[in-house]
Amino acid sequence: MSASGTVDSGLANREPHAPEATLDRPADYLHAESTLRSWFLTTDHKRIAILYLASITAFFIVGAVAAGVVRLALVVPNGAVMTNDTYNKAFTIHGVVMVWFFLIPSIPATFGNFLIPLMIGAKDLAFPKLNLTSWYVFMTGALFTMVSVVLGGIDTGWTFYAPLSTAFSNGWVLPALIGVTIVGFSSILTGLNFVVTIHTMRATGMTWFKLPIFVWTHYATSLIFLLATPVITTALILLIMERAFHIGVFDPAFGGDPVLFQHLFWFYSHPAVYIMVLPGMGVISEIVPAFAQKKLFGYRFVAYAAIGLASVTFFVWGHHMFINGQSDLASLAFSALSFAVAVPSAVKVYNWTATIHKGKLRLDTPMLYAMGYIGLFVLGGLTGLYLATLAINQHIHATYFVVAHFHYIMVGGTVLAFLGGLHFWWPKFTGRMYNEAWGRISALLIFLGFNVTFFPQFILGYLGMPRRYATYPPEFQLLNVLSSAGATILAAGYIFPMLYLVYSLWFGKKAPANPWDAKGLEWETASPPPTLNFTSPPVVPRVPYDYPIQEQETKAQHR
Amino acid sequence: MSARLADGVGTERAHHFETVAQQRYAATLGIWAWLITELLLFAALFLVALIVRIQHPEATQEAARHLKFWIGAVNTVVLIVSSLTMSMAIEFSRLGWQRAMVRAMLATAALGSLFLVLKGYEYYADYTEHMMPFLGSRPYELAASPASRLFVNLYYVATLLHGLHLLTGISLLLGMTWMASKAGFLSRHQNWIEIYGLYWHFIDLIWIMAFPILYVVNR
Ligand code: HEM
Ligand SMILES: [Cu+2]
Repeated sequence: MSASGTVDSGLANREPHAPEATLDRPADYLHAESTLRSWFLTTDHKRIAILYLASITAFFIVGAVAAGVVRLALVVPNGAVMTNDTYNKAFTIHGVVMVWFFLIPSIPATFGNFLIPLMIGAKDLAFPKLNLTSWYVFMTGALFTMVSVVLGGIDTGWTFYAPLSTAFSNGWVLPALIGVTIVGFSSILTGLNFVVTIHTMRATGMTWFKLPIFVWTHYATSLIFLLATPVITTALILLIMERAFHIGVFDPAFGGDPVLFQHLFWFYSHPAVYIMVLPGMGVISEIVPAFAQKKLFGYRFVAYAAIGLASVTFFVWGHHMFINGQSDLASLAFSALSFAVAVPSAVKVYNWTATIHKGKLRLDTPMLYAMGYIGLFVLGGLTGLYLATLAINQHIHATYFVVAHFHYIMVGGTVLAFLGGLHFWWPKFTGRMYNEAWGRISALLIFLGFNVTFFPQFILGYLGMPRRYATYPPEFQLLNVLSSAGATILAAGYIFPMLYLVYSLWFGKKAPANPWDAKGLEWETASPPPTLNFTSPPVVPRVPYDYPIQEQETKAQHR
Repeated sequence: MSARLADGVGTERAHHFETVAQQRYAATLGIWAWLITELLLFAALFLVALIVRIQHPEATQEAARHLKFWIGAVNTVVLIVSSLTMSMAIEFSRLGWQRAMVRAMLATAALGSLFLVLKGYEYYADYTEHMMPFLGSRPYELAASPASRLFVNLYYVATLLHGLHLLTGISLLLGMTWMASKAGFLSRHQNWIEIYGLYWHFIDLIWIMAFPILYVVNR
């Protein structure tokens, strides 16, 4: 402190450009500045998270509309509602947008961006400008893909398999491929930023085993971003070259091999399913202890399981290619390894349920989503084991069973975790509370609608209905109509939160710093947090998940 | 990495870091993480090239004999020397010898450009020898051996991708040289030179892998 502090020392201590604080609303990150420029050129991780949130919500709407078109077409068995071509385009747009532009960035780029620095007690991510760059890269990739959609769409499916995508498809494949390639770089930049931040920016006293599981799962996710994404980039570059210049890598006429594309594709895309699911697991690991007011059961095992998943997931890609001419030995190995993946997944499920056991349970909106997540993830994971069984796979590969399997995990799991997290941290993000009654109704609607939509698809797949066809035998109509009806319930469940959450921005009750009595550094600071996150350096608690109910569990463990 | 720095040389702390040491650690970790992703990008490509080589050995060898071995070899030397000048720039930056550093950086950029010029000449020679099978309108020298096209095309993808990295590297380097020639640069941003140096060495390293994989093992 300088010695010049005379009469106006209070003024001199204030940051020169910090706006005058008013009694009603101290300057938080949302109100620090309000020009458009201050949003689009921001380097504040919290604002960038909001930019991402707005963009991925827009893509979610695009993807959902496309899904609606698909379900509409399948109401009748003879494909009379639209041309086959339109149908193919609809399911491709749905898959491409949902996977590449919604699910992959969903939780990491929004909640991860917002919360990781708060949870570890840092002022920002390690590379704030890179963080902003990643959003612009993302939007550039999105622009390319949207150009392809607007010009007439593509019909290759989200997997872009050669030779359909390289030689036979007539659509605007190139812009879409370029878009997806570019988006990969935004994932890499996000992952890189998280890894470096978690390594270098933790507050004093925040050791690795005091980190919230949310941070652990994002660390694991970031490793996958870094180690898998470059391979899909290469695969897509080769695919672009193949389509544009017929270089021959994936074309048997020149000695190339289309199955090689599948290998490169799934080497990324199986790990990518854990990019989609691990962050959700992190969200659930925060919500469940908060609403049971109980320490997370088996903290270390949950952390190890995240790293375990991120490692084993690199060695199972062949389970997507059991009937594509892969050798029996390879199939056997991939099948066995796929079973191994289920172990860490199950560890997590057991730990969440054990946390709920004998907790002081509150069934608020975030917890309803979390409970839904656990149930649906179990079904999705278990059906994954069916699919990983060689003999059964012959029967259900490329049927609606697969479609149901991954929707249980990606929608039942990730999207529910996303919504649960959105409600859990909404007060922190915005400083406002949403309407709890509407929240619960929507959560229940979504759970109901989801099951009505997707459970029939397990049966359809088991009965042999193949995926990606616009027509089907008339005896499947009942189940298909049921599925489409469920989709309308689901749609309602999604529309409500968009309305009441936006409403709460202006009319919601002001939120306190910690509305749920939750633990974690993000709840120590104001809602919404100030631009530099903490007004005084945060004090790291003795143990992670320092909830009231701790003792019984330790006793029970020793018994 | 804790190289001794001369007086007046250092890094200005950005607002979100607690200490300069933390900031330097983050930057070093960040560039290494980036280089690992880049390595994987090229690794996938080299893997595909090796698969092609295993599946079609004769066609690959026939095609590889048309590559300009000596241009590739000279270019390898050019890049290795450029890595040397880059290392010198880093060392000068630590010593605070700003003029010498700027000269070493310019020399590095010049050597990088020399590589690109030689590479461009090589492409031109390939063109005149009808070794550009992806050009649909132009006859291809080894048309009788379809699998050879595959290797040649991969050669273009790999070298173009590397060339793109080099071009980016040279542009960044020139931009940085311009800033680094201003007074006071070394007291605020010495770390940039260290970080950038790793990227430059990486570009060099990729070529050192590409040259044997494409030119040498198939001869
Ligand atoms: C418990 C671990 C899991 C196992 C054992 C498993 C197993 C499988 C198998 C064997 C297939 C291939 C089915 C076929 O095409 O014949 C498959 C497909 C799929 N799985 Fe899983 N899975 C698991 C977890 C997940 C997770 C966590 C996600 C996503 C977040 C996911 C998303 C998908 C997707 C998207 C497909 C279909 C890809 C396509 O062909 O379009 N799976 N799964
Ligand atoms: Cu998989």
